[in-house]
Amino acid sequence: MRGLGNVIAIELRLAMRDPMAAFFALAFPVVILWVKMRNGGTLPGGLPIIDAFVPMLSVFVLGLASLVVLPATLAQYRERRVLKRLRATPASAGMILGAQWAAHMLLAVLGTALLTVVGLVAYGLGGPADLTAVVLAWVLGALSLGAIGLLVGALVPTGRTATVVGLALFFPMVFVSGALSAWETLPASMRSIGGLTPMAPAVRAVRAGWEGQPVSPLTFAAMAAIFLVAGGLGLRAFRW
Amino acid sequence: MTVIELNDLRKSYRTHRALDGVTLTVGRGEIFGLLGPNGAGKTTVVECASGLRRPDGGTVRVLGLDSRTRRRELLQRVGVQLQEAALPDAIKVGEALRMYSSFYDRPADWRALMEEWGLTAMKRARFAGLSGGWKQRLFIALALVGDPEIVFLDELTTGLDPAARRMTWGLIRDMRDRGVTVVLVTHFMDEAEALCDRIAVIDRGRIVHEGTPDELMARCDAGSLDDAYFTLTGRTA
Repeated sequence: MRGLGNVIAIELRLAMRDPMAAFFALAFPVVILWVKMRNGGTLPGGLPIIDAFVPMLSVFVLGLASLVVLPATLAQYRERRVLKRLRATPASAGMILGAQWAAHMLLAVLGTALLTVVGLVAYGLGGPADLTAVVLAWVLGALSLGAIGLLVGALVPTGRTATVVGLALFFPMVFVSGALSAWETLPASMRSIGGLTPMAPAVRAVRAGWEGQPVSPLTFAAMAAIFLVAGGLGLRAFRW
Repeated sequence: MTVIELNDLRKSYRTHRALDGVTLTVGRGEIFGLLGPNGAGKTTVVECASGLRRPDGGTVRVLGLDSRTRRRELLQRVGVQLQEAALPDAIKVGEALRMYSSFYDRPADWRALMEEWGLTAMKRARFAGLSGGWKQRLFIALALVGDPEIVFLDELTTGLDPAARRMTWGLIRDMRDRGVTVVLVTHFMDEAEALCDRIAVIDRGRIVHEGTPDELMARCDAGSLDDAYFTLTGRTA
């Protein structure tokens, strides 16, 4: 569909023009990487930390774009009646939501690419060992977290509320799911809570693919299930 | 030929009865004016007729299509300029036109439209930085970007300076001359008098008069449309 590509391209540009979104999705993760890498070293088990942190932070970026930026954009569009104007065109809700999702995921792809390049150039990043598995894991992560973001964006009334709700979901999740601190270094209690968050399977699968470890089909299935449930609810709850 | 047929349209918002049995028809190629005081139901008529709102009762047929069941088909063929609508702050004029044109199966040439509405100089300007008049022009151009057979223009010239208003009137007549049907919601009697082939005056959710501007003045024995309007609604425009 010609319209879809057009909307995605324009929405991506709009996201990049928003200084907050661009900073948090592109620059902020690199700053975190730099802070984490100042001490260098290895994780328990002997993995160089750069090989854990680039995949971890790629999920961090994905979570930020999905859970914070995407719902804020949608809710703001509703609040400002941008959606109302769109509703007076033949564009369908599915198309608008799909385009928003894709544009924000592309923002996360840019953030991930930047992290990877910095990792390769500055910190001797190895891998990814299994690129197909990493891409599959990342895309499923994007579908599941993105669907949660769409659901939040469908339910909250204003852009400000969306940001608050998004951050309230995002921050605890990145701390306990192993996206900001390697799960090897988390206390067992935190790890067991973190394992229940929707970000955990994404972290697990992207890291495993990066290291060339096998990924349990259950991890993929969990992400697919989250996508179907949250996406279905989001589409149902969506208001223009 | 009739292109819009509203029959006994009813719509309530909670306790407020916005439309209380509105019946009207608009013929192809007409410039049809909807006049009335604030809160009379003008915008609700436009929203129901363009498929944006579901009426509680009555029927809406636009271009022979029922706006409840064939909404999307209808939206391919009508253009809407809404009173309360916006675009993302950071979108540029050219981007907005290109994006909206991509929603339609057979869009107008958005570059030509941009030229025609004097927007080419503003192509790279962001929506948030546009003055009210430029925003208004952009909204009108967006209403036309699908190459519609009918356009609904809600408070078309509000926010435009006198020169831009005159220019807009000229372009509306051009549209009509090309066979486009125009439904115009307005507060300005001079605008209705200058542009409209027929007028409906709506008050408290009912049509209180329908006819040509001359008929309206004759009925009220008034010297101007302003006076006639005042007689009909008991209020000044």
